[in-house]
Amino acid sequence: MQKRNNRILLILSVMLFTFTSQVFSTGQTEAESSEGPEESYMRLAWWGNPVRDEKTIAVANLYMANNPSVTIETETTGWGGYWDRINTQVASASLPDIMQHDYAYMLQFVQRNILTDLTPYVDSGVIDLGNVNETFLSGGRVDGKLYGISLGTNAFSLVYDTAVFEAAGIAEPDFTSWTWADFEEIAIEIFEKTGVQTMPLSTTDPKVLFDNMIRQTGASTYAKDGKSLGFTDTTVLKEYFNVQLRLLEAGVLVNPEVAFVTVTAEEGQLAKGNVWCDYIWSNQLASTQAVSENPLKMVLLPKIKNAKRPGTFLKPSMFFSIPASAENPDEAARYLNFFLNDSAANDILAAERGVPIPSDVREALKASASDLNKIVFDYIGVVAENSSPIDPPDPKSSGEFLKMFRDSTQEILMGIISVDQGVAKIMEEGNAILAK
Amino acid sequence: MSLITNGSTGINLEKSLSERKAIIRENLAGYAFIAPWLIGFFAFSIIPILTSLYFSFTSYDILGTPVLNGVNNFKNMLQDKLFWKSLAVTFNYAFVSVPLRLLFAFFVALLFNRNIRGIRFYQMIYYIPSIVGGSIAVAVMWRRLFMADGAINSVLNLLGMDVHISWIGKPDTALWTLIILATWQFGSSMLIFLAGLKQIPQFYYEAADIDGANSFRKFISITLPHLSPVIFFNLIMQIIAGFTVFTQAFVVSGGSGDPLNSTLVYALYLYQRAFKYYEMGYSSAMAWILVLIVGLFTAIIFKSSSAWVFYESKEGE
Repeated sequence: MQKRNNRILLILSVMLFTFTSQVFSTGQTEAESSEGPEESYMRLAWWGNPVRDEKTIAVANLYMANNPSVTIETETTGWGGYWDRINTQVASASLPDIMQHDYAYMLQFVQRNILTDLTPYVDSGVIDLGNVNETFLSGGRVDGKLYGISLGTNAFSLVYDTAVFEAAGIAEPDFTSWTWADFEEIAIEIFEKTGVQTMPLSTTDPKVLFDNMIRQTGASTYAKDGKSLGFTDTTVLKEYFNVQLRLLEAGVLVNPEVAFVTVTAEEGQLAKGNVWCDYIWSNQLASTQAVSENPLKMVLLPKIKNAKRPGTFLKPSMFFSIPASAENPDEAARYLNFFLNDSAANDILAAERGVPIPSDVREALKASASDLNKIVFDYIGVVAENSSPIDPPDPKSSGEFLKMFRDSTQEILMGIISVDQGVAKIMEEGNAILAK
Repeated sequence: MSLITNGSTGINLEKSLSERKAIIRENLAGYAFIAPWLIGFFAFSIIPILTSLYFSFTSYDILGTPVLNGVNNFKNMLQDKLFWKSLAVTFNYAFVSVPLRLLFAFFVALLFNRNIRGIRFYQMIYYIPSIVGGSIAVAVMWRRLFMADGAINSVLNLLGMDVHISWIGKPDTALWTLIILATWQFGSSMLIFLAGLKQIPQFYYEAADIDGANSFRKFISITLPHLSPVIFFNLIMQIIAGFTVFTQAFVVSGGSGDPLNSTLVYALYLYQRAFKYYEMGYSSAMAWILVLIVGLFTAIIFKSSSAWVFYESKEGE
């Protein structure tokens, strides 16, 4: 008797369960189609800095004010901690609904089916790309499918302190055609007249600056397949170090023991007024200027001898992607569209993530841009005319390669090994790391 | 059961059964009370430890699925220059900072063992570095102190020395800033030493006074032997802490082990392999090597302890 009761109870509960889940699922689809007051909850994650965090949170608040049924929880960290966290979240299947993504990791994520193809949302009009030129989207495409939409365009640059030029009484050169020889001359002249030093060629990631130089020869740091170095002629690599060593010997270059310890912009030599230049991505101007007393300007990196093509390229500064595991992908897509196209949202964002990709947003922003943003908009305009196509995303072992390259740079600048030894080491170990 | 009770004592059996029930009930209550801890222990210690052991024999890049590759990770370590470099840095760090910290802690504990007015206040002040010691904030402060334009150089310059060294940027001095940081955080060892000192019965000293022993003799023959179990405990704990140091090195070098890997302690390199190069398998293997090394040193200290650690309870035997 009891057994039968149990069985009936079991069948009943199973029926109840399937029934209720049916009801809930239909309820959900109804709410989505009619945009009813269904409560929805969404997590948004990005890496950033205090300026960006403030702006992004303000946009999320604006969206919530417009859509009272939506709750957005924001998650932000610096660049380093961000990927630790995202990788942990991949492993524990708890990725956010919308995440900021980077060109370097895009391919790895797509290959593991971690990201949603956004094409259906574009086709259905949830995400409006009507004002976006295809060239801005190519970085986010893999095999014809769209996995990330860039919120802005970015380019590597040399940023300089205008007040130092004034104090030294030096005429600013034509920065679209200046060479490394000009750079050296200016650095020495500034030092002699003002005592202001020159920053070593990118301390956080020396490879980025070398990449710009080697790209001017028509080659790239990595081969197209990422299995080896993309160059065999070491002339440019040697010159890259020799420029710095000559300046170091003359006392013009900041001592590597001081220059390489910088972790935050506040600790940087530019913020302390010790140097006249630094090397940053164009979207970092706001945060760099925030800690610098004097007005900064942004220009193209110098040309190498016999340059065959411009070394600078336009890079999608960062993408926004929707993970395949997102609990609320439709709301995430709507939010992404808001992020991208809404004029009020973009007024708040103020191109902090790079120059926006929809042409109407770009034009509107440029008209009302602050002086600081005008510099970035103008610079991106200059790069658009003086750039070569972007290389494929970094290969898998690029992390290890960068460490080796940075260590070798320090060894050479600290005089522990000679340029020839260092260059031989980079070529040999670089190929070995990439071949793994 | 029947063998023991011999059949004749049915009542005894009954009694032992009810006793047994009571014991089981009591045990059950005990297990219920420690269940939260047990669950945590298995979920957050045992299972992750076994998983890491499995990962150490795989190639695993976090995003994908682990692929078994035998002992390849361990073989690759032999050829990994930075693996050896990080081992060397860690040994240097542990072998210099542990004795320094213990000596310092011991010295301060001896000072505090006297009856000075306001001793509690001093104890608190000296313990503070250890409370805040593991925190990011202190390591950040340390960075700032030892930078080229940091407070250390300012003080030296005020004293008339013309020093502009970037202590954290010079390969020869960077590790020393971490060692000084470790020595500065002597508080917890100091408190344990102090507790040990307070435990030493006063009549030994009184007896020694009657025999006319001087204070050095008293220190060697009474204080040190009585304190040896505490020294033993502190040594083990600090060796383990020394070999697994991470936070301080991570923050002071900005996560890079700079300059020129002079602060690339083992745990930091392990972290880089795991979260910068996405080689979870390799770093799991590294973690197990660290377990072996720490285990080896602990075993050596334990083995040697019979020669130098003195337990009062054994004395009477």
